[in-house]
Amino acid sequence: MRFKPGKTDGLLLAAVLFLTGFGLVVLYSMSAYNGQVRFGDAAYYFKKQFFAMTLGMAVMYGVSRIDYHALERLAVPAYLLSLLLSGAVLLVGDTYNGSKRWLSLGPLSFQPAEYAKPAVILLLAAMVSRMEKKKSVIMILSVTGMVLPIVALVGTNNLSTAVIILGIAVVMIFISNPRYLPFVWIVLCGSGLLGIFLSLEQYRLERLAIWRHPEQYEKGYQTMQGLYAIGSGGLFGRGFGNSLQKLGFVPEAQNDMIFSVICEELGLFGALLLMLLFLLLLWRFMVISTHAPDLFGSLIVAGIMGHIAIQVILNIAVVTNTIPNTGITLPFISFGGTSVLFLLAEMGLALSVSRWSGG
Amino acid sequence: MQKTRSFHRKKTVVIFLFCFAALVGLGGRLAALMVADSEYYATLAQDLHERERTIKAARGRILDRNGTVLADNRTVCTVSVIHNQIEDAEQVIEVLCRELEMEEETVRKRVEKVSSIERIAKNVEKEKGDRIRNYELAGVKVDEDYRRYYPFGSMASKVLGFTGGDNQGIIGLEVKYEDVLEGIPGKILTLTDARGVELEDTGESRQEPVDGNDLCISLDYNIQQYVEQAAYKVMEQKEADSVSIIIMNPQNGEIYAMTNVPEFDLNDPYTLQSGNDGLAGEELQDALNRMWRNGCINDTYEPGSTFKVITASAGLEAGVVSLNDQFSCPGFKIVEDRRIRCHKVGGHGGETFVQATQNSCNPVFIEVGLRLGVERYFEYFRQFGLNEKTGIDLPGEAATIMHKQENVGLVELATISFGQSFQITPVQLATTISSLINGGIRVMPHFGVRVKSRDGTLLKVYQYEQERRILSEETSETVRYLLEQVVDGGGGKNAYIEGYRIGGKTATSETLPRSANKYISSFVGFTPADDPQVLGLCVINNPQGVYYGGTIAAPVIREIFQNILPYLGIERAEVESETES
Repeated sequence: MRFKPGKTDGLLLAAVLFLTGFGLVVLYSMSAYNGQVRFGDAAYYFKKQFFAMTLGMAVMYGVSRIDYHALERLAVPAYLLSLLLSGAVLLVGDTYNGSKRWLSLGPLSFQPAEYAKPAVILLLAAMVSRMEKKKSVIMILSVTGMVLPIVALVGTNNLSTAVIILGIAVVMIFISNPRYLPFVWIVLCGSGLLGIFLSLEQYRLERLAIWRHPEQYEKGYQTMQGLYAIGSGGLFGRGFGNSLQKLGFVPEAQNDMIFSVICEELGLFGALLLMLLFLLLLWRFMVISTHAPDLFGSLIVAGIMGHIAIQVILNIAVVTNTIPNTGITLPFISFGGTSVLFLLAEMGLALSVSRWSGG
Repeated sequence: MQKTRSFHRKKTVVIFLFCFAALVGLGGRLAALMVADSEYYATLAQDLHERERTIKAARGRILDRNGTVLADNRTVCTVSVIHNQIEDAEQVIEVLCRELEMEEETVRKRVEKVSSIERIAKNVEKEKGDRIRNYELAGVKVDEDYRRYYPFGSMASKVLGFTGGDNQGIIGLEVKYEDVLEGIPGKILTLTDARGVELEDTGESRQEPVDGNDLCISLDYNIQQYVEQAAYKVMEQKEADSVSIIIMNPQNGEIYAMTNVPEFDLNDPYTLQSGNDGLAGEELQDALNRMWRNGCINDTYEPGSTFKVITASAGLEAGVVSLNDQFSCPGFKIVEDRRIRCHKVGGHGGETFVQATQNSCNPVFIEVGLRLGVERYFEYFRQFGLNEKTGIDLPGEAATIMHKQENVGLVELATISFGQSFQITPVQLATTISSLINGGIRVMPHFGVRVKSRDGTLLKVYQYEQERRILSEETSETVRYLLEQVVDGGGGKNAYIEGYRIGGKTATSETLPRSANKYISSFVGFTPADDPQVLGLCVINNPQGVYYGGTIAAPVIREIFQNILPYLGIERAEVESETES
């Protein structure tokens, strides 16, 4: 049975528009120095991000207008495409900052790992809603088996994104299954495996040591610079645009560490407001997900919620040195065209689902 | 299409609540970092962003007792380049080479060096610095700075001392009173980015420098001038190696003048009088150190007959000799197995102790020494302060070189009694004799009198303790009388000035090794003999020709006294005392 499309979720749309606008302004402030120093153009990063966001807005609008049910048939091909692209980047990818993560298409470059996230969300939503009748163990195993190839492919050169994809999968599988206990085991086993994984290589243990005492290690530089920025923010910050840490002290201030400079400029209040905004976003996802007319839509939005939540939480945890350093960007704010494009596409998906929600 | 079930919704809410909890936890962590630890990180960050430029503080001046400036500051410039602000490197190099008269290679190396700021030249004259500034070259900085300047060039060079490249004292009073003279440098704090480029519009915080304080010393510019002239005159006349003269107030230890010719140019202390040619490294440094040496305090010598003042004082104080005791001098004295000669080969014959002092008769003083005995002699030696340094406020005072008491036999005692076989510094001799004739109170020789701030506010008056009695008043008076007789009718008669009561003692000692036939001639004199206000010691090293202290050193002190006594306000006495002689 079909529902008539209703109104889009205005609150979600407003939050997304505000976040992207805010992100763009903040990005300009954070990246102006690096842009000037490296490319002689203070707006270098801003322009690229602005282009991606404009494109992303169009995509978001387009996606939000279509019936998301139509996407169910595309889930598998889209996933296969992501496997193909992720495989291709290993062979013909461009290297930037020491990582082979980009595919070039004329003047445009594209990060397949970012595309893999919505592809996995779609795939899992489709698969789980199809296999609802099957036994839970079989479902869990088969679904896990399906995402492992992409996790492996992406993980070869981008461990952080692989972890995010895995996290999204875990969240979606968790929601699709009525039981709790197996997930406790999964989490415990995961932690155990992580422990073994970390202790296998010396450099990973060093990473832990750096996490505990960043001031004692040369490689703790980035972490310390982030903490300097956060600490010098105080309650109300230095004021917008007045960060000193972004002037080459925090390396790549426009990327993973952008939140620390936001803290420096806008203070505790600004940082908490931004976190509140993300929470608002997550809350809307929860509401849309729980009011979705069918399991497919519900799982899509739950997956998106998992995606945003994992990135926001891990990013802030890294910046505040709550967990060891790993490269995870802050959604909508950090520099990254592909990331913003697909984030906005996901928002379009969520908005589309919201139109079909009963409320 | 599958519908959602209630557990799906429940679990979605669980995930949301989990995220909510995580974000709240991170918010708490953030609050802890930004409020509780804020100061810690903010301070570290501040250190990271700030670059410090120091502003030199003006060094305090040195003023003589009348306020004449002996050491001053002159504005000079420091020229530096800031690498990443330079626009036209070639022009910068060309201009700096021409204006600073430096070699292109040196300048090029510094201009092209990638550093935040590189110093090209220090101590550049102000006019040159102004000229360079007027080119308005991007990346070239001209900072004004102070450099020590000595208006009178070489005057009192070894007393005043000079300063090094960072304006710190190197020798003399400049180093001894470093903490008074040096100021507190100011700071200019600017914010920079990670590459060290200064940020505009962030405002610079400036900490003003605190200038050093002025040091007022007891030295008198006019007396020092007379004394140096007199010293140079006798050094040239007698072709001597060097001449040391100390003029001091025997009552309180203030030094009016101290010279050690040849002096050196304080404004160019690294150039030897004979030029630096052919000398380098350690050799040059040794030569410079010799030139900078203040013989009055850094070197010891055998005082010779002037030391008989000490033997006489000890003998009179102990009561083993009195003024009218009769002695007989056959021209020598046999001590144990040694025959020690008097300077008068035929002997002085029969003489009183007064006459023996006038004659500077060695056998008589040996006799006085022997009457005292080793133990008592050493006791007085110590009591008079000869074992310790005088404590003068100049660096590097040399200690007395004396026999160990247990090694001294009668022969050694005999030689000590007339001032041989041990060494003391000229300032030690002048100080000890001052203390013996001033009524018997040991004084501490010194230059530092007062500290004033630049605007003239009195900050500190130096106190020198004067409580240690080393001789009784009566004996001190007797010693004064005895020494007045030396000038009135004895070996010191060349120091006599009509109308003044002058006491003194001459000395002529042969330096070691005796075979070299090198002599040190000296004279110590003071006036007025009944109430000494000024004491002078003149030591002439290795004079050629006539070398008797009474003949060549005594006239130097007389000449100086003639010039400075009216200046010091010591009037000629009525000539009634002449009836005595």
